Amino acid sequence: MYIYDKFDQTIVRERVAEFRGQVQRRLAGELSEDQFRPLRLMNGLYLQLHAYMLRVAIPYGTMSSAQLKKLAYIAQTYDRGYGHFTTRQNIQYNWIKLEQVPDLLNDLAEVQLHGIQTSGNCIRNVTADQFSGVAGDEIEDPRIVSEAVRQWSTFHPEFSFLPRKFKIAVNGAARDRAAIQFHDIGIQVVRGPEGDVGYAIYAGGGMGRTPVVAPLIRAFLPKAELLSYLEAILRVYNRHGRRDNIYKARIKILVREIGAEEFTRQVEAEWALLRNEGVNLPEAEMSRIQKFFAPPPYEKIAAPVVAFEQARASNPAFARWVETNVHTHKVPGYGVVTISLKPVGGIPGDATAEQMSQIADLAEKYSFAEVRVTHVQNLVLPNVKQADLFAVWQQLGKIGFADANLGLIGDIIACPGLDYCALANARSIPVAQQISERFRTPERMKEIGPLQIKISGCINACGHHHAGHIGILGVERAGEELYQITLGGAGDETASIGELLGPGFKGDQVVDAVEKIVNTYIELRQPGEEFLAAYRRVGKAPFKERLYASA
Amino acid sequence: MPVLSIAVGSDPAPINDNWVRLADGAAPNATDRVIVPFARLKGGDNQIFGAAAVGVELGGADQVEDLKPWLDRLSIVVLRFATFKDGRLFTSARMLRQRLGFKGDVRAAGDFLPDQTAFLLRTGVSSLEVSDTFPVDAAASSARAYSVRYQHAVDGLPAAYDERHAP
Ligand code: SF4
Repeated sequence: MYIYDKFDQTIVRERVAEFRGQVQRRLAGELSEDQFRPLRLMNGLYLQLHAYMLRVAIPYGTMSSAQLKKLAYIAQTYDRGYGHFTTRQNIQYNWIKLEQVPDLLNDLAEVQLHGIQTSGNCIRNVTADQFSGVAGDEIEDPRIVSEAVRQWSTFHPEFSFLPRKFKIAVNGAARDRAAIQFHDIGIQVVRGPEGDVGYAIYAGGGMGRTPVVAPLIRAFLPKAELLSYLEAILRVYNRHGRRDNIYKARIKILVREIGAEEFTRQVEAEWALLRNEGVNLPEAEMSRIQKFFAPPPYEKIAAPVVAFEQARASNPAFARWVETNVHTHKVPGYGVVTISLKPVGGIPGDATAEQMSQIADLAEKYSFAEVRVTHVQNLVLPNVKQADLFAVWQQLGKIGFADANLGLIGDIIACPGLDYCALANARSIPVAQQISERFRTPERMKEIGPLQIKISGCINACGHHHAGHIGILGVERAGEELYQITLGGAGDETASIGELLGPGFKGDQVVDAVEKIVNTYIELRQPGEEFLAAYRRVGKAPFKERLYASA
Repeated sequence: MPVLSIAVGSDPAPINDNWVRLADGAAPNATDRVIVPFARLKGGDNQIFGAAAVGVELGGADQVEDLKPWLDRLSIVVLRFATFKDGRLFTSARMLRQRLGFKGDVRAAGDFLPDQTAFLLRTGVSSLEVSDTFPVDAAASSARAYSVRYQHAVDGLPAAYDERHAP
């Protein structure tokens, strides 16, 4: 993974010093909360319902075990002993005291972490496929580009006060595990006509109250020209994106209002000039970055790994976990482990300091000291030998994270909702907890098969409900929390937006509604047909009928 | 209003350069240094060029390219922030310098934050029009805050990648 040199380290140190000064001005009364607000929002510090919340960037979801250890320490020292991994591959701490933030940031800087650009109307922390570098279906490790984009976007002199926040995601594999078409810019690594590596560029996607699947604006961009092209997109957006209405300020609205074709024309015209203005990264720097993502020293392992096969054969629970939570590794004899942070009845994405610390130890011992965060709020040990899987699974069991539910109905995304978030209409976490309780048995989950439930507490859609096979959205009607249900959303390479089924449900009716949907699916599916495929075949009518029939 | 000059490597310093806003429709004195709204330039009012020096004031919605016909006769371009959030003006400043090659003074005015000074400097702004209560110290620390940067910009300073690969 990428390791800071003195230049990167200096920037983060100087950021801590700058923010310390800003906090001091606030505490000394030189700045009002109104004046301080834009400053703290440039550093991931929000004022929530009960306390300050600090969001820490985990660039493209990759961290070292030492960094995860430090995140555990932060949870222990400055928060109430836990943290919350988010859909943007970040971590949030919900109980932070303002006067402690500078010291906290200083501690983070020791392990090359920070809160830079995790909030505000700027280019946010870049996200990428959590299986980068280890999945077999990859053209190139997307973290190489992501790191280049991270550096370019950090304190960008021109693009730090955009009309609205701006999110970039990168995917390097055939499967889209980064939901790139739901981002302001989606970068897909592709091969060009001559077999050379380059990028396909999508722009203007997003969730929120106007969900849009991003159109493709360039089918092939040569590798060396990425930054000038991004700069051209950002410049067109910065100049022409709407600033009169916060709900219309994202790039997706600009692209929709002028049309993808006209938008592309403007970007290309701007790019024609910008590409010669010294923005592109020199080849030498690209290859310097690339070296950090060279494969770790894998062992040559002969298949089959007997101990592993025996453990699988003799322990059905372990076998089930391997089946759901261990992804095929590109190197024989290894597996990619996803640790589900979705125990039955738990809070999706939450981990205690102790759990984080134990996972950091596991990474150190079994996975070349590397951990990933997924946008589905889980953690990944990317490089575990098959021979070690049983030990890892047992250790995870001890900290309550051995649930075999990845990609199944228990693997729910939920935003913080009304339990924490000042913008929420409704609670998300209790709904997720109730659903995971209802479908708790492995047999039931297996019977249902792959099914993604995503829950947002308001239309801002931090819980990605638009992209949920089943999406649940908290709304407020006449002072009451209600939940609308959408079906058929998807965040992969077949991206689609879920369709609203009908009137909303009260909190205590949501689980029953979900169960009716699930049962309807099981009755109508064809052999081997997954939920999403079945929904795409039959449409919403049968589900709607069943759901509202008896009402 | 007080004016501060800003430059890489030095603290913001007060200057007195006697620019005056020309009243709508008024003709300038030959000894005046006048700033007019962009609309007046576009209106084709050439009598303003009878002044000792001429400048123009742009808002966030104005397109800097449209200044081209007059640019070599202008000594200052004022960029007025209706709100500090109006990031369009950073693009305007940078394009003025890089694409249009403007060598005169580029001045930020209005609602920008002292903590934005670093960004203003990098995009080619060379002076600030401020209120009497403007916290000059905060602007000075913003200007000094970073000794490394990741991009090329108008200030001509090397990016981290230049320093990394310097021979
Ligand atoms: S979706 Fe709404 S309630 Fe949930 S975290 Fe985002 S803003 Fe808050």
